[in-house]
Amino acid sequence: MTRLFAFSSAMILAVAACLIPCASAQPPAPAEKAVLDAEAERVAVVAKIAPAVCAVCIYGGQAIGSGVVIDPEGYALTNHHVTQPAGSIMQCGLADGLLYDAVIVGQDKIGDVALVKLIPKQEGKPFPFVQLGDSDKVRIGDWSLAMGNPFSIALDFTPTVTYGLVSGTNRYEPMGSRPGISEYTDCIQVDTSINPGNSGGPLFNMKGELIGINGRINFEKRVRINSGVGYAISINQIKNFLGHFYAGIDTDHASLGAIVGTADESSDLQKMVVKQLLEDSDVARRGVLEADRVLNFAGRKMTSANMYKNILGTLPRDWRVPLTAQTGNARPREVLVRVQNITPGEKPPAPGTPPMPPGPMPVPGPAPKGPTTSGSPAAKFLKQKTGYVNFYFNEVQRDKVLAAARKHGDFTTVAGAWTAEGKYDLGERKGDVKFEINEKSADPFVKLGMNIEFALHPFESGLTPRAAAEPIGSGGLMMALYHYHRFLTVGSKGFEGEFVHAGSEPFYPYPADGSAPKSLAELRVDTNVIRTKHGSVTCKWYFAKSDGKLLGFETYLAKDTDPCEVYLHDYKDAGGGLMLPHRMEVRFGDKRYGYLNIAKYNLK
Amino acid sequence: MRIASLALLLLAPGFASAADPFDKICDEVNTKMVKLFGAGGFSRLNNFGTGIIISKDGHILTVASQLLDTSDLVVHLYDGRRLRAEVMVIEQELDAAILRIRVEGKKPEEPTGLDLPFFDFAEAAKRPSASPGDWILGFTNQYEIALRDEPLSALRGVIAARTKLSGRVGVFDFPYNGDVYVVDQITNNPGAPGGALTTRDGKLLGVIGREIKNNQTETNLNYAIPVNAAVTVTVRVKEGDKDVEKTLNISFPDFVARGMKGEYKPAPRDKSVVKGEGGWTGLVFVPNILSRTPAYVEAVIPDSPAAKAGFRPDDLISFVDGEPIASITAFQEYLRAHTRPGTTIRVDVRRGEALTTIVLPLGNHPPRPVVPVTPPPPKK
Repeated sequence: MTRLFAFSSAMILAVAACLIPCASAQPPAPAEKAVLDAEAERVAVVAKIAPAVCAVCIYGGQAIGSGVVIDPEGYALTNHHVTQPAGSIMQCGLADGLLYDAVIVGQDKIGDVALVKLIPKQEGKPFPFVQLGDSDKVRIGDWSLAMGNPFSIALDFTPTVTYGLVSGTNRYEPMGSRPGISEYTDCIQVDTSINPGNSGGPLFNMKGELIGINGRINFEKRVRINSGVGYAISINQIKNFLGHFYAGIDTDHASLGAIVGTADESSDLQKMVVKQLLEDSDVARRGVLEADRVLNFAGRKMTSANMYKNILGTLPRDWRVPLTAQTGNARPREVLVRVQNITPGEKPPAPGTPPMPPGPMPVPGPAPKGPTTSGSPAAKFLKQKTGYVNFYFNEVQRDKVLAAARKHGDFTTVAGAWTAEGKYDLGERKGDVKFEINEKSADPFVKLGMNIEFALHPFESGLTPRAAAEPIGSGGLMMALYHYHRFLTVGSKGFEGEFVHAGSEPFYPYPADGSAPKSLAELRVDTNVIRTKHGSVTCKWYFAKSDGKLLGFETYLAKDTDPCEVYLHDYKDAGGGLMLPHRMEVRFGDKRYGYLNIAKYNLK
Repeated sequence: MRIASLALLLLAPGFASAADPFDKICDEVNTKMVKLFGAGGFSRLNNFGTGIIISKDGHILTVASQLLDTSDLVVHLYDGRRLRAEVMVIEQELDAAILRIRVEGKKPEEPTGLDLPFFDFAEAAKRPSASPGDWILGFTNQYEIALRDEPLSALRGVIAARTKLSGRVGVFDFPYNGDVYVVDQITNNPGAPGGALTTRDGKLLGVIGREIKNNQTETNLNYAIPVNAAVTVTVRVKEGDKDVEKTLNISFPDFVARGMKGEYKPAPRDKSVVKGEGGWTGLVFVPNILSRTPAYVEAVIPDSPAAKAGFRPDDLISFVDGEPIASITAFQEYLRAHTRPGTTIRVDVRRGEALTTIVLPLGNHPPRPVVPVTPPPPKK
């Protein structure tokens, strides 16, 4: 009977292999080749990715977690709860057995992610690194590989590999389910063994692409080791924050400015509705009302409260994302909403609260203070500034963006008065346009002629908010043009308030020909953002990641108001190789103010 | 011969098909499962569990746990629908229960018209058993990770053995003593009871059981009750005015087939599982005047188990067997629910600044004092 069981189950196992021997006496069947092939493939994948997996150590001390290098310059991802006890300067051990000094670059305290940079032993020598995968393609039942340094087991930093199944996707692990302030949203759940010390280490798909960063396990009543339930922060969430990390930003998560929840908890099916709305939030200004049904948010269907929290948790603050809402039985409406600061009610404990390592993941035990880090070669890559983890990298990334933009023209040589002529198109009104921006005069001014002559003196005492926002309905087009000129011709010196890299954001330029887009979501372009402040006006400048071109900018005259949005199209040589847009779309709120079609610039 | 086939089966993880993902099977199985919510939510008792749909009308198979001890049972289907359910029949000898989804406006005996995807239990029971080395998948709502339309957790493992169960729930003997599948994966987490153990192609093999500890090794045991399980029990029944011993054969397929029709009669039980008052410590606590008075030791009765184990006045009991203890009441409730004389508990106490672990074998309660203790004079 037992033999029969064994035999029949062997038949089940042999679904693909067709034939397997039931006794060792029989000759090897073709299945064996498939066995060996599958194994060889797995071994090859592990061999390819293992060199990029690192152990994160306290400077001159013990290993406390894991990480993974994601580019040849040595930038590596890990958990915030791993770098937090290590401090700004740490060491990372790679599978080559060497310990590299490393410096913190950026972090996401709530999402529990940090980016560090390993310092090469020889300048410019590339590091082994892994490719980022697409975690939205991960399915329950997929195989996965977790790597890292559990229990600080490998003194030579050879990573440990564990192999298992993806148990769940889009999981929501709320804040407060563990000590600490982190919240795991839209995360991947695995039965792959994750143990203390695996924290910050990579989770790979079977192609060896990085799909997540392992950071938590469920243990509840059990001891603090693998209980068959591990969680990895999805790489797609990390990608949203990655631009911020590279720019040294201490990133923050966001609130919609509204509470979205299940309409009726006891009903058969879940309907997600807006329950409360902050009056001065962007979502309220977009015309979304209380009791509106939320159908889609940032590209994901809203089916449950957890799904909403999942999606919100993947967004850095200030991002603009599409939202589809429905009032009553009216036609659903798609709008772009800017997610805002976490409101006081939803705010996590202040940073002063002792940040307990969430869950069991770092190797327990006292964290011995290592030798002083001042002698480390990593020390010269550290610059502290409020709001930033490491401002050194902000300057590096900011200057990279500006250098790329300069390829489209260096405007510092034409810092004088600019004039432009062309046609304006405000829909029902059309005609000739002429504007002049003069910053060099004793009383800087912008003049804009569109049938009526407007003028703005940005530093005039007693400038009313209404005058600053002229022409009416544009949200401050003249102020925007003034800042545009200043940004191009003066640069960093012209913005005493702020002149920083603000990370990566999606940007949604409308079709240049004025046609209506099928959906706002499909307009998305990924950009690097420079944020500037001059006087009381803040501007955000959006540079395409692909070619470094300035696609547009937003000018905020005050907090919690809609900006004047200017989209730049039809770049042409305006003389001397200086590329300038010859079509500008101006938008304010949800409306298009109009187009400026410029025929000729005159730059002095 | 048997050893040879086993050895080959253990090589199974290398087969070409082994590299294939289980995503489609996971999707399909998930549609035949429910998340179950019922009684509990306090102490160590979870108010969430898992169930297996065994008819298109919404009959659900799960474990006979305390979860069912409520008139307010709720299930969440794979598509997010939230429906009410009621218990039809429980068979303690199989540690199993059959529930039925209630649809408003339909009488209990009427078809519900739900037309759900389901596991054909009778067919599953006819298939040969799984053997050690076979791969399995587990589907559970462990740790209440999934709500509404969120899919259950999928786990992969290997059958370690098909054997008799020797385990315990708390310290009480487990009611079921038939065969179980023991698996190498940690399937039996909180909320997992009632989950499905399937073959690698998603065919039902068994019902994932409770969280229990092996009473010899103190390790958690991961097991499922096979779909073709059968037990023989001896029961005492009254015949006329005499107690007669009778032998009953109880089979899982029979329970399910007749249970769904409402024709199954559970075996009468004479093994009463009663909660006692727990073991005796000999600890005297500070007056329990607050709703959550911390478990500070006021005194230790000389020669009591606590005295022998080294407890001292002013010790603060912080954890028992790894469970945080917030109050005197919680400590006493823990003793009642999980111990009896002879049980050994591990107590973590805070003494000054240090956390000390004390192993405490519990004793028998001393006879109650005949004379009531005089209350202390009121303080001025």
